[in-house]
Amino acid sequence: MLNFNSPIQNEKKYNEIKITEVEPTIKINLRSNKREFSTKIGKILSILPPTEANTSSGNENYSLLWLSPDEWLVYSKNKNQNFKDQIELEKKLFNEISKINQGAVTNVSDHWVLFNLKGNKIYDLLTKSCPFDFNEFKKKKGSVSQTIVNHIDVIIHNNENNDLNLFVRRSFSEDLWLWINDSASFL
Amino acid sequence: MFIINCPYCGKRDQLEFSCGGEAHIERPKQPTELSDDQWAEYLFMRKNIKGVQFERWNHTHGCRKWFNMVRDTSNDKIHATYKMGEKPPIK
Repeated sequence: MLNFNSPIQNEKKYNEIKITEVEPTIKINLRSNKREFSTKIGKILSILPPTEANTSSGNENYSLLWLSPDEWLVYSKNKNQNFKDQIELEKKLFNEISKINQGAVTNVSDHWVLFNLKGNKIYDLLTKSCPFDFNEFKKKKGSVSQTIVNHIDVIIHNNENNDLNLFVRRSFSEDLWLWINDSASFL
Repeated sequence: MFIINCPYCGKRDQLEFSCGGEAHIERPKQPTELSDDQWAEYLFMRKNIKGVQFERWNHTHGCRKWFNMVRDTSNDKIHATYKMGEKPPIK
């Protein structure tokens, strides 16, 4: 993240929809099936990794998303978090987990691009090209879903009512951004 | 199009999954002692029956975990899904 170049650098407003790119934010992928892993993460981040499928946990600084029974994604809620703090966090996680074979810690900050979608019609927008059933998802704050939107793999995190964060792979981000803008203009 | 119940994530659309072929095929314990025909039988030959079949599936666009499924290939009815290593709920 030394020479961070955002692929989008934009914010768009449509009828009842606001789309923003939330970058740069630190994102770290965590993998482990060891017992001590949860306690270690709890000590470092002050959040316990969620064990229930399609859920998340968090505090004022970080969100921890369930990706699979042995995989989680932690990301910073603060855009433009101090670069030194990001490095410190990654180092701490790496030393406490990866280095002693308790799991794998991978910095995926530049792998995922984060979009924030707000507004009353965000679910109308997504259901245009997503097979996922959002009925239960939108009722539960903190829900997480990995699915496909317009044939592109995404991770969707329900922040609060009509406010969600969408992670998309960097190489697909511009394509999805264009599709979202195009679709939103027809709502 | 049908709905598949992933043992880890819950009900999802078929679009998110990919099929990995027949399940419960055991790797021979002593491959070096097999003849070429026996090895080819293990490696390539699959039943592909019309009716209830045990298959391996992967939730490719979700949790990326492998699981097993009991599916009727004649009408695509899914009888059960279960995690890898578990015994089939239906015989």
